[in-house]
Parts: sequence; C-alpha cells; structure tokens
Amino acid sequence: MLEIKNLHVAVEGKEILKGLSLSIQPGEVHALMGPNGSGKSTLSFVLAGRDGYDITEGSITYNGENLVALPPEERAAKGVFLAMQYPVEIPGVTTMTFLKTALNSQRRQRGEADLDAVGVLKLVRAKAKSLNVSEEMLKRALNVGFSGGEKKRLEILQMALFEPKLAILDETDSGLDIDALRLVAEGVNALREPSRAMLVITHYQRLLDYIVPDRIHVLAKGRIVAEGGKELALELEAKGYEHIVKEPA
Amino acid sequence: MTLALNLDRKAEAAAVVHSHGVPHRRVEDWKYSDLKAALGEKGLGAVMAEWLVGNLPAGVEMFDLAQPNPPAWVMAHVARPTRNVMNAASLALSAGGVAFRVPKNVTVAAPLKLDFTGGGHVRGLLVLEEGASLILVEGVGAADFRNVGFEIVVGERAGLEHVRITPDAGDSVLVEEVSLRIAAGGRYRGHFAGFGSKLARMELEVALEGEGAQAHLSGVAVLGGKRHSDVTTHVIHRVGNSHSTQLFKHVVAGQARAVYQGKVTVAKGADGSDSSQTAKALLLGDMAEADLKPELEIFADDVKCAHGAAVGDLDTESLFYLRARGIPEGQARGMLLQAFLDDVVAEIAITDQRELVRTELLTALKVIA
Repeated sequence: MLEIKNLHVAVEGKEILKGLSLSIQPGEVHALMGPNGSGKSTLSFVLAGRDGYDITEGSITYNGENLVALPPEERAAKGVFLAMQYPVEIPGVTTMTFLKTALNSQRRQRGEADLDAVGVLKLVRAKAKSLNVSEEMLKRALNVGFSGGEKKRLEILQMALFEPKLAILDETDSGLDIDALRLVAEGVNALREPSRAMLVITHYQRLLDYIVPDRIHVLAKGRIVAEGGKELALELEAKGYEHIVKEPA
Repeated sequence: MTLALNLDRKAEAAAVVHSHGVPHRRVEDWKYSDLKAALGEKGLGAVMAEWLVGNLPAGVEMFDLAQPNPPAWVMAHVARPTRNVMNAASLALSAGGVAFRVPKNVTVAAPLKLDFTGGGHVRGLLVLEEGASLILVEGVGAADFRNVGFEIVVGERAGLEHVRITPDAGDSVLVEEVSLRIAAGGRYRGHFAGFGSKLARMELEVALEGEGAQAHLSGVAVLGGKRHSDVTTHVIHRVGNSHSTQLFKHVVAGQARAVYQGKVTVAKGADGSDSSQTAKALLLGDMAEADLKPELEIFADDVKCAHGAAVGDLDTESLFYLRARGIPEGQARGMLLQAFLDDVVAEIAITDQRELVRTELLTALKVIA
C-alpha cells in the first residue's frame, strides 16, 4: 500500500531524511520510533503533503500512485490521514462545521454525493460517543480551548469518520495521561482492519503496549537504523536509543 | 439648512474650509487617503447630495433641514462648530439634509433606514433624548463624490445601534464625518462593513460626556482590485468611568488599501475610564496594503487602555490542517478568512443585518480569495 524508497528530504536546504525506505501492506500496523530530531515528524508531514519539505531524492508510492505529485486535499480524499501531534486551533470555525465540510469535501473529490447536515450529525454522534467527545465540544470552535486529551480524541474521531486507508499517527500519545492514552488507543484499535494500514509514530514504547504493532522501525539521523517485531520496543525501552543508534545501520 | 438661522455657522465653517483647503496626503490625518488627488480638478463642488428614508418607524420625528422654521430640538443640536475640515465643508457647501428625533423614553422597535445618495454635500442630525432607543441602518449609495456630515446625540441612558454598510462603490469618492456625543449612561454601538471604492473614508468622533457612557465600534473591510477604505476614529473620554471598545478587521487583496486610524483621548479628570482598541489586517498578495494606526493620549489617572494592531498573512499551519483533512485550498482559505472576520460580525446584534453582512462578506471573499 505504501512504498517509500530511498527518501531524501530537505527543509530550508538542510537534509533531514537521508535515504529512508519503508514498506507497509494493508492490514499492517507499523511503528516508527526514534529520538527527538530523528526526522519522524518530517516524514509524517511529507506523507500528508505539507509545503516546505523538498524531496531531493527517492519516491513515495501509495497504492501504485506517485503520492508526492498530489496536493494534501487529494491525498486525504484518497485515504491518507495524518493525526497531528499539535492539532491547530481555528477560532471562528465550529468543530461540527469543520467535520461536515471536511467529510463532504473528501466525498465530493471521490465523486460521492454530499451528506446533509442531519446525516453528518448522526454519523459524528455515533463515532463520538465511544471516544468521549461531547456535543458541547462539537459546538465549540475547532480545538480552541480544548485540553491536550480532547484535541487527540478529536483527531481519532476524525480518523473514525473519514475511514482512511492509510492512517499516520504522529506522537498521538504525547501529552496524554494514562487514562486518556488508553481511550485513544482503544479508538485506534477499533479501527484496525484488513484493508487499513497504520503508521504509528512515537518516541516512547508506552503507546505500543496498547497499540501492538506488526513491525517496528527505528529512525535515527534520517535513516532507519533498526527494524524488528514488537520485541524491539522492549529492547529500546531497556537499553535506550543510544545503544541501537550507535550500531552500524 | 434652515439657512436664515445658521448663516453665522455656515460662514465659520466656510472659513475653516478656506483656511485648510481640500485635504491631501501631506496632511497627517489624510496621509493614506489623498482626497485632493481623488477629486482632481473638480474639487469639492457645492452641490447638495440627497437622502432617502424608508418607512419612518413609529416614534421617530423627522425634519427636512432645507425647510424654514425648525423645531427647538433641531436648533438645540444642529451644526455645532467644528474644526474638522470635511465636516465644515458639509455645512458650508450643502443646502440641507435631514434631522430625526426619538423623544424621551421612546423605544423604537423597527429600524430607521436612511440612505445618502447622489453627489455633493449633505447634513444629517439624529437626536435620541433621555432613555430613548433606536436602530439606525445607514445605506451608502455610489456617487462621483459625496460628503456627509452627520451629528448624533445620544442622551442620558439612551441607546443607539448603528449599522452602516458601504457596498463596493466602484469609482466613487465617499467621505462621511459622524460626530457623536454620548451623555451619562448612554450606549452607542456602531458596526461598519466596507467593500471600498476609489476613496471611501468614514471619520467618527465620539465624545463620552457623562459617567457610564459607552461606545463600541467595530468594523470589517474586504477589499480587492484598487479599492480603498479608511476608518478614522477619535474617541474622547471626557469624564471618568466611561468605556469604549474598538475592533476592526480587514482582508486586503490586489492593490487595495485598508486604513484604520484610531485615536483615544482620556481627558484630565476622566479617571477610571477604560478603552480597548484592536485592529488587524490580513494581506493577500504583495501589492495589498494596510495602514493601521492606533494612538493613545492619556491625561487622567487609573485608566485602563489597551491597544494593538497586527498585519499578517493567512496562517499556513491552519491552511495545511484544513487541506490535510480534504478541504481544497481555495475553500480552506475562504473558511479561514471568514473565521478571521466572524468575531467582528458577531458584534452586530440585529439578526437580519448581521446575516446580510455575513452574506456580503462571503461574496466579496469569493471574489478576492
């Protein structure tokens, strides 16, 4: 589903990713771990199509298509979803209006009919309950005054609503206490299915106790330096990143 | 203009006009709005502009200022001396205008709709007596050049809600000076939506003259092409415990220019006054310009004054967030622009006017975004 080959990415002339390769099949959950500054968030933004990231070498293929050529909105409509580490606050746009606009924008690009307000509301309500997203939150301006946990829950609610084929979760665990983490992880696990792939980006092993990955990649200084099964996370937790990063890639 | 009775005032006003001449960009207050250049050889002229009133709501009295024998309430308030050159011009060069009164303790339910139309100079007067309340919806028609001098008196505990929408007025040169006096406990809320013209300027001079007097000014402008829109305010806190707020936001594209000049003066002895001023602009494109100039003059103690101005571009992070959720770029930009302006629009308490402004903004944003 996702095939990243020898990816080199520079930001303002400085190379951040230096030949990253990664392949994810439908139904798989991969974890991308690594110390701060290793390039994890850069990869997530490049996959979602944010401006300011120059791909100097390599390729990203998504379902056989060159992902790099598509603007962010088309990637979203084709099933790429990025749950962001820092969801932005947008005063003046209510959360419900945003959800409806986003959902229908994606549908329209896929040639599907718009859902009316009632239809969207029903859908949102059905998904919101298990994620403990209240009606009151939906009426507030998007992410404005939301706690860290509320913002992350809303990200997962969007994931449930948009039903992406490839979900990238960028440090979804950051800033969450253990109860919030469990709630978010349950939300993510409920979305695991054979046709959907996930890339879970995290600094800590903690999240992977709840979202158990099929495969773990360790990113350091812009390259994958170690790969393995879920036991790799435990090794990292015990020995730290330095131990692995020091070994030749 | 009840000419026979006001010859002295007209002569004084003419002297003010004569000594200043037509304002141009080398006059500090008119730096961003070169009226002389916009008018060209035609100058100020001496024609009288027109006014139109929709159905006069029950409770409002009206008097045509071109008629003789004005009632006492007109004589008590009309044509106060002024040093404002364009206000003086409207007095010196017009032959009339319109005056309204809402008598003591009368609450007028239906809005008073007043349109200024045609070219030339014209005067307006609105008197709200003690405890009266009114909604004034002011329309602004296109014209080669029009100058309106509008005096508003808000009596003790009276309340005025004023909405003024200037549509995209093409090549028009439109100038209006509103001078307001607000007595103790009086409230004024003014909302100004502008879509610009060759030169569009509204000056508001607001004097808070009694304890507890309040003025809340807010406005939005959406400008494209070579449109210009200037709101210049001067709020004077003459007594203590008076309150004023100002919130202005502009979206400027193309080669358009938005101007906000806001001065707040807290006079000696006006202790305990509080005022806030916020002006923001988003510039879409390198040739767009916003000149925001908040200013404070404080001669009193224990005063709470805040002011701020910011000019920027659309937030790229917000734009990316919306696009990453599937919203196409143009639509995402439109959403963010609307959101930027919406807290100002929300200030309009009258539902149909608020929705009208929302719709007009949306249309204008679609054109320029």
